[in-house]
Amino acid sequence: MTKLNGQVPSGSIEEIWNNHKFNLKLVNPANKRKHSVIVVGTGLAGASAAASLGELGYQVKAFCVHESPRRAHSVAAQGGINAAKNYKNDGDSVHRLFYDTVKGGDFRAREANVHRLAEISTTIIDQCVAQGVPFAREYGGLLANRSFGGAQVSRTFYARGQTGQQLLLGAYSSMMRQVEKKQVELLTRREMLDLVVIDGKARGIVVRNLLTGALESHVADAVVLATGGYSNVFFLSTNAMACAVTATWRAYKRGAFFANPCFTQIHPTCIPVSGELQSKLTLMSESLRNDGRVWVPKAKGDKRQASQIPDSERDYFLERIYPSFGNLAPRDVASRQAKFRIDEGHGVGPTGLAVYLDFRDAISRVGKKAIAEKYGNLFEMYEKITGENPYEMPMRIFPAPHYTMGGLWVDYNLMSTLPGLFVAGEANFSDHGANRLGASALMQGLADGYFVLPYTLGNYIAQKAKDNVTIDHPKFKEAEQNIRLQIQTMMKIKGSRTVDSIHKELGRIMWEYCGMSRSEQGLQKALKQIPELREKFWNDVQIPGSENDVNTELEKAGRVADFIELGELMCQDALERNESCGGHFREEYQTPDNEALRNDQNFCHVAAWEFKGEKEKAQRHIEDLNFENVKLASRSYK
Amino acid sequence: MQSVDLNSVKSFRCPSNYFFTSVGKKLVMGISGLVWAGFVMGHMAGNMLMFISPGAYNSYGHALTSGGLIYVVETVLLTALSIHVFFAVWLTVDNRRARGSQGYALSQKGSKGASIASRTMAAQGSLILAFIIFHLITFKFGPVYETTVNGVQMRDLHRLMVEVFQQPGYFAWYVFCLVLLGVHLRHGISSIFQSLGVLNSNNQATFQKVGIVYAIVVSLGFLSQPISVFLSR
Amino acid sequence: MKDHTLKLKLKVWRQASSKTLGRFVEYEASEVSTHSSFLEMIDQVNEGLIKKGEEPITFDHDCREGICGSCGFMINGEAHGPLKGTTVCQLHMRNFKDGETLTIEPWRAQAFPIIKDLMVDRSAFDRIIAKGGYISVDTGNAPDANSLPVPKPDADDAFMSAACIACGACVASCKNASAMLFVSAKVNHLSLLPQGGVERPERVHSMVAQMDAEGFGACTSTGSCSASCPKEISLSNIAKLNRELLFSALTRRQAPSGDGV
Repeated sequence: MTKLNGQVPSGSIEEIWNNHKFNLKLVNPANKRKHSVIVVGTGLAGASAAASLGELGYQVKAFCVHESPRRAHSVAAQGGINAAKNYKNDGDSVHRLFYDTVKGGDFRAREANVHRLAEISTTIIDQCVAQGVPFAREYGGLLANRSFGGAQVSRTFYARGQTGQQLLLGAYSSMMRQVEKKQVELLTRREMLDLVVIDGKARGIVVRNLLTGALESHVADAVVLATGGYSNVFFLSTNAMACAVTATWRAYKRGAFFANPCFTQIHPTCIPVSGELQSKLTLMSESLRNDGRVWVPKAKGDKRQASQIPDSERDYFLERIYPSFGNLAPRDVASRQAKFRIDEGHGVGPTGLAVYLDFRDAISRVGKKAIAEKYGNLFEMYEKITGENPYEMPMRIFPAPHYTMGGLWVDYNLMSTLPGLFVAGEANFSDHGANRLGASALMQGLADGYFVLPYTLGNYIAQKAKDNVTIDHPKFKEAEQNIRLQIQTMMKIKGSRTVDSIHKELGRIMWEYCGMSRSEQGLQKALKQIPELREKFWNDVQIPGSENDVNTELEKAGRVADFIELGELMCQDALERNESCGGHFREEYQTPDNEALRNDQNFCHVAAWEFKGEKEKAQRHIEDLNFENVKLASRSYK
Repeated sequence: MQSVDLNSVKSFRCPSNYFFTSVGKKLVMGISGLVWAGFVMGHMAGNMLMFISPGAYNSYGHALTSGGLIYVVETVLLTALSIHVFFAVWLTVDNRRARGSQGYALSQKGSKGASIASRTMAAQGSLILAFIIFHLITFKFGPVYETTVNGVQMRDLHRLMVEVFQQPGYFAWYVFCLVLLGVHLRHGISSIFQSLGVLNSNNQATFQKVGIVYAIVVSLGFLSQPISVFLSR
Repeated sequence: MKDHTLKLKLKVWRQASSKTLGRFVEYEASEVSTHSSFLEMIDQVNEGLIKKGEEPITFDHDCREGICGSCGFMINGEAHGPLKGTTVCQLHMRNFKDGETLTIEPWRAQAFPIIKDLMVDRSAFDRIIAKGGYISVDTGNAPDANSLPVPKPDADDAFMSAACIACGACVASCKNASAMLFVSAKVNHLSLLPQGGVERPERVHSMVAQMDAEGFGACTSTGSCSASCPKEISLSNIAKLNRELLFSALTRRQAPSGDGV
């Protein structure tokens, strides 16, 4: 085990980023055009990075699996984006956002990164408004704000329930502007299947053209991965169908360390599962908890209709347990409390796997119209999916996998352990610790892409020696050959199991043993079952069609193969982290009132895993976390 | 991403090229259509004189055709019609090409489908064009009867009209075409406001109604004429 | 909420590639839960096909919550099926009757070539955006977000137009395969905001030129685009675009040389 160094410059936390920006090496404008950068993924982080790097003059190649960059799953973020603007005069500041985020992440994030994020947050809003993002406004024409979980100030900017879509369209259109100027070359319907490392540096990628099946090599001076998170390891999650770990996983197998894989976020307010055939879960924005009250019947197994249950027989458990944050308790906490209530037998609905999110009081307080204006499209979506009218009966919600705080390890410059490989957005592990606060994912993705990478990537390129590597390099040929072989092996199995059925099985194992709560016993069980499932996959999967054509089953198969391997690493990581923190709740480590019990003595660190070979156990490295500006304390929302 | 090279397309630098964009073509259609929409309203109103007396009707016809104004009006109408037809054919060809050769197995219906009136503008237009030609042959270039009103010798168009509309074949053809004209106007009028860009979400419903009312007035007004003649056979 | 299962007959358009001819193939979907979404129903049919070693029905889809714009096809001649304001991924089977026959076809338009089965190429939309669907502002020190107030009605209207998800239902349902609703929504989103004002004449001009070059048809105001739109983008956007383009033709100044890029 080695100790990793996050390369955080010294100095007072308010000054680090500013000083660092000055100390970073620059690339002369005329030289920038001689350098190329590959950006994989075109969500908020990828599109903003590609646009900004293109504007600076680098030759950028942007890749996405979708038919258009605008389909990236950032589009689905509903609620909003945080920024320490303090437009509301309610006591917000950069320091408070920094503090809330460190505390919200249960003290498992790097202080300097979080502070930088809080500093940049205000600039992001300015940038997005300049791009024409139609944020919600007050009648005076100024920007509106609302509150989100884990904060006692209103610092969330939003565009109805479609904030992610509008921010993505801003970043996407900026990128398309660079496409038009030929600064960015856009390659759609391409899936990255390998990272090419030459002389220890990331130098390119191999992608599969999803329309023709052709393998294509691309070389560059640096590679940025902005490929999102891996919640789909659970099969049922709020992530889109194409969200996968493949790009980061293959980079991991080429030497980038994978940090904190067990830090996953289970979002408290999703529409409950309705049947075996369900393919995904739909989130109901956290912003609903501004006005909705979460409750279960006090009596176990109470099958009465919600409206028949008087207030005295309702348990508004978040308000009861966390009087100061109430329904706006952070996600990990809210999800866990819902799970406890359900485990105790208070669950509602036909399956008993749900709690109520009730707007009755808000509607009687401000009227149906005001509620419709705020949440109309969310209510409509709920009604479309469930066939029930949330204005009349409370929503039924259940926690669901939503976001992954873990990801490739990066230093302060967002560079992985592989020189030249940068990781941005949800794909990296950096800013959210063990739990992400609502409306912070959009903030981080855009911070990385617009305002961090353009500086730190330039610093790397300025110091990199010139060479003449092309795609004719043997490493590219070798990578292509490996992929071809893997694809052919998969195609030849012709077994009896569909890819989805294996994925569902993996999802059940992960949800059961590595989901909302974990135990040593369960994780051991999972670590036995996952390798068996892996065998099943490689011996019995059925992929029809050809590899030289559009073949969605083949695409899914490659992703599921990687998810199975990742699942194993997640369980291993969860098993070795003998504490509870944020979204990682180990049943063995809890306070008498069932709150997560951290072990700062032994686990105040990042765990970063190194790939040691296909059948080998991964090696655990650590990066120590020091808290000099926010006092390590037990996290309380009471 | 394969790209379409815009340089191969004629560059739209001069404002006059505006009229060759798909949007500009529609505006041309709208304005030329508006000329005719105005004309049919006037034509219909003038013809109402037949309900006063054959003399009034014939005098009105005589007044219109004597003097030079008729040539100006005819030139404007003919030009507008030619442009309208020319651009209609052009747009139709373009639009058919855009739709592609493979049609849908099932056509749209239900709440998401377009109205028949809006979907069949080209077919209506063709029939109306045919009608205009036959109408000119029947009346303008038809048999010339003479009559004298207040001592002035003039063409007896009233007699011709009565003769024509008393024949069931003509009568049916006119009824059909005048209903069609109404349908064409109904979509055309509101569409003109759309092409001119004066529609917005507040006045959309109003302009829709304007289209309907205008079409009904013109169509029913015209229809009253052959119907009254036919019924008084 | 009643929970029962349906048995449906599907007539699905199967086409191996843009170069081959397609045809309808009939499938039976049984045991379809009324809770399933339309795409989950097709997943179910596909599971059966894969188990038999046959190729599944290929279609674009991703978020399955009606926002990414990936999915979409015709169901019985209607874009995204019979329900208004919805995408096929949000269309639930409770909207169908037991024993129904459903004809499923891809978007058809010259500018949207079929890739495979129900999957079409909508990259023309990206190329239209590349011609001007943005405000030309580089990343950097933008002025404070509140330094430029925007009247709430304008901000709200801009949002309504910006809600377009580029699914292509407007093109697919239009008898002329016109992309006017898509283009006008983007033009209006940006022109309604003061930030987008500077580029107004150039933007509408370039985007319409690209739209025409891509081979989309002209708008004949039938209104089926807006009726089929899952985000219910208003037809008045098109009227506004018409006005913008006329305004552009009259006022647009030419850059002295090149494009000043």
